[in-house]
Amino acid sequence: MTESYSRRDFLIGAGAVATATAARAVQAGKVPVIDCHTHAGTGSDLTAPWTTMADPQEILRRNKEAGIDQACIFPISHDTFEEANREIAQIVKCYPGRFIGYAKHDPVNEKGRIRAMLLRECREMGLRGLKLHVKPTPEVLDTVAELGIPIIWHPGRVAMFDEVARAYPMVDLILAHLGSDLSNDWREHLAGIEMARRYPNVYLDTGAVVLTRYLEQAVKELGPGKIIYGSDEPEVDCRLEIFKIRMLKLPKEQEEMILGGNIQRLLGKYKGGAA
Amino acid sequence: MKTNAHKPQVIDCHALAGKGKTWADPEREVDYDVNEVFERGAEAGIDRYCVMPPRNDTYREANRHLAGLCEKHADKLIGFAAHCPQRETGHLRQMLVEEVRSMGLRAVRSDGPPNRDLLDAALELGIPVIYYPSGRWQQLGMYYHMPATAYPKVNFILPHLGQYHSLSWAAHIEAIDLAKRYANVYLDVSGVGSFKYVEMAVRELPPEKILFGTGAPELDPRVDREALRLLKLPRDAYANVAGLNILRLIGKHPRE
Repeated sequence: MTESYSRRDFLIGAGAVATATAARAVQAGKVPVIDCHTHAGTGSDLTAPWTTMADPQEILRRNKEAGIDQACIFPISHDTFEEANREIAQIVKCYPGRFIGYAKHDPVNEKGRIRAMLLRECREMGLRGLKLHVKPTPEVLDTVAELGIPIIWHPGRVAMFDEVARAYPMVDLILAHLGSDLSNDWREHLAGIEMARRYPNVYLDTGAVVLTRYLEQAVKELGPGKIIYGSDEPEVDCRLEIFKIRMLKLPKEQEEMILGGNIQRLLGKYKGGAA
Repeated sequence: MKTNAHKPQVIDCHALAGKGKTWADPEREVDYDVNEVFERGAEAGIDRYCVMPPRNDTYREANRHLAGLCEKHADKLIGFAAHCPQRETGHLRQMLVEEVRSMGLRAVRSDGPPNRDLLDAALELGIPVIYYPSGRWQQLGMYYHMPATAYPKVNFILPHLGQYHSLSWAAHIEAIDLAKRYANVYLDVSGVGSFKYVEMAVRELPPEKILFGTGAPELDPRVDREALRLLKLPRDAYANVAGLNILRLIGKHPRE
């Protein structure tokens, strides 16, 4: 942990206030607004923002302004993730009720150790999802199916989803960035929409989509049940990403599904045992 | 071009109109409809739009078409010419003089590194040069240092804060550094994916250096309009960024 978390007493206090706010929202029958794609924690590489630092306080400040009740957080880039996942669990603890912790793993670099780590991270540390960049192996997918947690995966190409989604229909797969981070390749957005249409277990995360016409297309063609709001904080600002959803001017119930209801439903499938 | 004393004008310094191709790889054929820009822009509270043609091989026809649109929608559109210095060299001055003095276009976008033909004409006409080193962002400085130094009286507008969609965070920082170094380099903040670099630009530069833009209709103008709101600028700074800066830059037009 870095110095930024040493002000823990203050932060726990701030977190408690925020938790009470979120809890009140839920008690009032409001579907909580959940950001499904946020990075947090420290990195050691120092070669890019996403290998250096993602400050949870900054994220919370913007979340509050955007009306986001909770954010799913996972580590920034590392070679292996055991320590980084521990840091995620600690951040979740520091800000009660504001973050939902996910593990992150590299199925190649951490081969053979992932089942044990992931079981511990969910059962003992309270993490509730998995973030991937590398294609998941059977070791990863079998463990995820056993735990009933969703995977949010940012693949090299959208086509990589096909084999995994078909072989593991019981695993919920969230395609990050609607298939193309920062709309780097618009064809991947179209491929993402097709993938979500083909497989009931594939969902689309809306984070860091610059060409918003593909968000409109995804909602129009797939309906709100397949779309999950995310931002890719802190690199991409949650206030603008949530504006892109509100800009769609959907009926209230549909907007609530995208902004929180869908991810809440997927997280509710957890069957791995208490932390 | 008078501003309402009570409500600063919001002028999009970077919109597109007409036929051509996109710059993104893979490219698409496009025919940008100004009515789409007007519709979404009105919802966002945008008053006027500086429009340029999308990518073409050469621009004589595209600029003429654009000038026609601007004449038709004179209350909404301000036209900017575009040229490719490498493909159109030798004819640039003649074309630009006609486009600016007879057709009323107010700036030129340089598709490719601006050469002396284009910069001499821009200097003579007193128009700003919009230049985004598409595909060359790793060498952003290399393509800006010399033109900005050799032509200190020509104003340059660097679109997208140096990097369309924020595919390179380092290019944003380099763009901010360029605007700090050169009095004649301005930053258009349209189409930036990572808003924190727009906030950085606003923190580190005088507000006169930053121009509101949207990239419409390729990008939804409502998003960048919301980004402008999120900057929470003091009133004077807001008025400059939202519209006065681009008006000041094109106000050097010889007819004014």
